[in-house]
Parts: sequence; C-alpha cells; structure tokens
Amino acid sequence: MSAITVTDLTKRYAPNGPAAVDGLSLTVEPGSIFGFLGPNGAGKTTTIKILTGLLSATSGTARIDGLDVARDRAGAMSRLGAVLEGSRNVYWTLSAWQNLVYFGRLKGLRRAAAGARAERLLTEIGLWDRRGEQVGTFSRGMQQQVAIAAALIADPAVLLLDEPTLGLDVAATRAVKDRLRALARDEGKTILLTTHQLDVVEELCDRVAVINRGRAVADLPTRELLAQSRSRDHYELRIDGDADLLLPDGFTAERGEDETVVSGRADDPETLYRLIDAIRAQGRRLHSVDQVRPSLETVFLTLVAEPAHA
Amino acid sequence: MLSVPALASTGWGNAFGNEVAKGLRDLRSGWRAVLAEMITFPVFYLLIVMFMGRGQLLGELLVPVMIGLAGLAFLHEQVNRVFWGYLGDLQSGVLEQTYLTPLPSAAVVLGRQIAAVLGALPVVGAILATGCTAVLAGGGEVPFAWSVLVPAAAIAVGTCGLALVLCGLTLVFKRIESITQASVALYAIAGGTLVPLAELPDWAAALSRALIPVAPGIEAAQAILLDGATLTDLGAGWGLGWILLQPLLLGALGVVVFHRLERVAKSRGTLGRY
Repeated sequence: MSAITVTDLTKRYAPNGPAAVDGLSLTVEPGSIFGFLGPNGAGKTTTIKILTGLLSATSGTARIDGLDVARDRAGAMSRLGAVLEGSRNVYWTLSAWQNLVYFGRLKGLRRAAAGARAERLLTEIGLWDRRGEQVGTFSRGMQQQVAIAAALIADPAVLLLDEPTLGLDVAATRAVKDRLRALARDEGKTILLTTHQLDVVEELCDRVAVINRGRAVADLPTRELLAQSRSRDHYELRIDGDADLLLPDGFTAERGEDETVVSGRADDPETLYRLIDAIRAQGRRLHSVDQVRPSLETVFLTLVAEPAHA
Repeated sequence: MLSVPALASTGWGNAFGNEVAKGLRDLRSGWRAVLAEMITFPVFYLLIVMFMGRGQLLGELLVPVMIGLAGLAFLHEQVNRVFWGYLGDLQSGVLEQTYLTPLPSAAVVLGRQIAAVLGALPVVGAILATGCTAVLAGGGEVPFAWSVLVPAAAIAVGTCGLALVLCGLTLVFKRIESITQASVALYAIAGGTLVPLAELPDWAAALSRALIPVAPGIEAAQAILLDGATLTDLGAGWGLGWILLQPLLLGALGVVVFHRLERVAKSRGTLGRY
C-alpha cells in the first residue's frame, strides 16, 4: 500500500474560478523521499493542505496510509506530521520542551509518552540542554529543527514538509537535509517535500513530481528524470571573438568581448555538425564543444516552460 | 510507530486538558499584563463609583456597580483572550498545526474557552475584592447568597457562545478586531453593567435581555444581592427560565456558527492565511 495516494484531485477556490489543482494524481511509496516541485502558484501548497485536511478538495481523494483524509480524518492525522510553509509551526512563547509535549498530547499521546518522545527528539537535534528556553530566542535553523521535531512527536509514518529549508543558512540547510535523510533511511519515514532549492531535491529525493498550473508534468524517479533529459543532447560551443551566426532552432548565443558562447539542444547530430561547419566557414576559431549535463534546475525549467499535458 | 498504549484512550480528556494547561501557561507567562489589568480595572471601578457619586464612594453605588463591572470585565477578558488567542495563532501560522490532531476538535475548542474563563477570573476577583473592601471600609455589609452562582454560571456560558461566534468570524474574515471591541463597548453601555436595564427604554431593555450574554445574569445577580430576591422570584427581567435558556441558546449559536465558519475556512483556505 502506498503511503500517500492522491487521485484525480481538483481544488477550485471559487465555484467557477480556475483550478488551483487540476485532476492531480500521484502516489508516494513507503520509506521514500518524494520531491514535489513546481513554480509559485503551481498548486503544491494547496495539495499539501488538502493532504493535511486543512483544506477541503473540490473533487478527488487524498489518502494517507490508505485512509481517506476527508472521511477518516482522525486516522489520517494520527499517521501524519507536517511542517507548513511560511509559518512558525510551533509556539515561540513556549519552550522547546513545552511545545513538544503540547503537540504530543494534541496528537493523542499520554503525557509520559509525549515526554519520553520529546526527550529523544530534543537530544537528537542537540537541543536537550536548551529545552527550557523559549523557541522565539532560538536561531531560525533551530526553530525549524524544533518544528520538525514537533511534527515527529507522535512518530508518524508520513511527514509532509512544505519548504523546510526556506530562509535557512548553508549550515542549517545541511543539518535539515541530514536529518531528513536519516529519517527516511534509518526510520523508514515517508517524506513528501516541496522546495525551490533543487539541489536539496537532487540530493535527497528518490522520486520527483513536477506540477504546473495544478497538473503533473512529470512524475519519475529522480535518476530517470535526469537521464531522460540528458538524452536530449544539450551542447555548449565556445567561439573566438564576437561571432554573428545564423543559429539553428533551439540555440542561443551569448556574446562576450573575447568569445561567444552558443548553447542549445540538438536532437539530431546533423544540426550540430552544420553549426560547426558554419563557424568554420566564417573563419572563427572554435575553442570547445561540450555536452552539458543538465541539472535538475534545467530539467525543471524546461518542464514548467512546456504547456501542461492535456 | 509508537505503541497503542502510548496513545491516550480518552481523546476528549487529553485534548481538553492539554488546551486548558496551555492556556494557564500562557496566563502565567503573561503575568505582567494580568497584574496591570488587576490594578487598572479596580481603579476604573472606583473612579466610576466616585464620578457617579459626585466625588464620593457611596455605599449604595459600590455593590451594584461592582456586580455590573465584574460581569463586564469577565466578558471583556474571556472574549478577548479567546479572540486574540485565535488571531495570534492564525497570524503566526500555528493555528493550522493545532488542526493536525486526531482528537475531537470540539474538545480543543472547549479547552480554549475554559482556559479563557479561568484567565478572566483574576481580574474579576480583583474587582470583587476591591468592591468588598470599599464596602467594609465604609462600614457597610457585603451581601452574598449562593444562588448568585447561577446567574454567574449563565454569564460564563453565554460569553463562551459569543466568543465562539467572534472566533468563527476570525477564521474567515480576519480583520474583525473592531467588531470585537465595538461589541464589548456596546455591552458596557447596554448590558446593564453600569446602567440598570430597568432604567433603559423598554425596547432597549428587551433587546439587551434577548441578545447580550451578560445582561440577564447581571440583572438577576443585582436582584439577588441587592433586593434579596430568590431564583424563583427574581422580581426583575424575564425570570429564571430565560436566565438558563439564553446562555444555552447563545452557546448553541456559537457552536453552530463556529462549526459552519470553520468549514468555510477549510473550503476557502483561510485557516492559515491572514
């Protein structure tokens, strides 16, 4: 059974308004880290809010561990922890300890169980010695670690993280990434992650779905997604001086003082050969021809630039 | 996953107790604000009595104004504590987290209400203590009857209903602070807190008794403590039946309105948007 199942999910905020999420379907396997990507306004946060029961869907279903969030909310919530985007998630006026015990009891734990779990989580994130301090006095990175710990307080099988590294510095981002990796690999948690930091996704995620205008435009294992894009040969040619060339479709030129960089995709090798011939015909010196390895960022930009699949 | 025995079997008790405990922790951490109100409200009380008595703390004014102001202070504190608590949680984005619970949400809401009731008591107590001290210092006698606890309880229940309506509105419409403040101010004028309902025009008194959560309770408490009336023969207002019914109606209205607006908020996505 999948840890998260979204089936034909649609959300319209106004009856005749545009769909924020438009017939979205996806599944997340247990114990995996799933990257959920898309540009601003693509429908990522709306989907997460529906998965958490904070937002009602117009149609379609969202299931956590097989339980329909709309029909068996209590069951679904007992299997779910979430850190939501752009909000504090925990009480800054309470201490780290008070927050964890409060949210533990809110998740239905007995006080003793919540305390024991809070002790373990605070120890793991290195804040046990500062458990009595108000969260508002912590650094942004520590606050985010407390928020993740609060989401984990009832040991949920599924963790939804909406922009968990937003606003964190390099060291704090690294700490969060390490923690997420450990949660999936060592504890078998299923993590659905949205972020605009694609290096985080490339490093952590087993599978990636990209949505645009509420629709999925890709849903593949991360390696496959990157490999698929690599098959579309992307080249970069460096030419001596300020070259003025008639470029094939899909190529662009960036002119500098000493050299011109021509780059683009050549699905047919003949296109590349004709371009090289044209450069030689002008008597230009070709410094280099490189096959560019596309990053997830390139893939992402290509996918969201294309119209969503019908 | 945690084992089943680690999960509390009584979801209601767990959710309710957890919220009350958090409310009391908030009260303790905000003790300076509470202390300031415990000073300012009694000062206002004494000033009002002094102004109404043309510069003197008249014995015949101390008790009725004390009853009225205690009711008004309770409403002010209870409503504001719940309302600002919701608004603060909404603004900071913590409110959404409190909805990610498998426990009954009604128990969470009730816990917040009871915490606010408890949080209102120090200020009410300070007004009552000041009033009693002033009466005794003037050589008077402080009236008391156990039956006054009935209208007091009615005030608490009715006020919770009002707070639920305002909190429900906050979930959807956000910036309604002015409505909250205006409603509390209206109750100060027309709720029988400073001017007895009997002194108001008949239509205004009827509207107050019908709609204002503290009005029937204050009127009854004044009748019991000042006139020696009994619960079955209050001699003023619409009788014991209405004193018991009005808070239940307001409480039910609060539950229905809050539940309905909560659903609207979940549909519009305004639970976490300010």
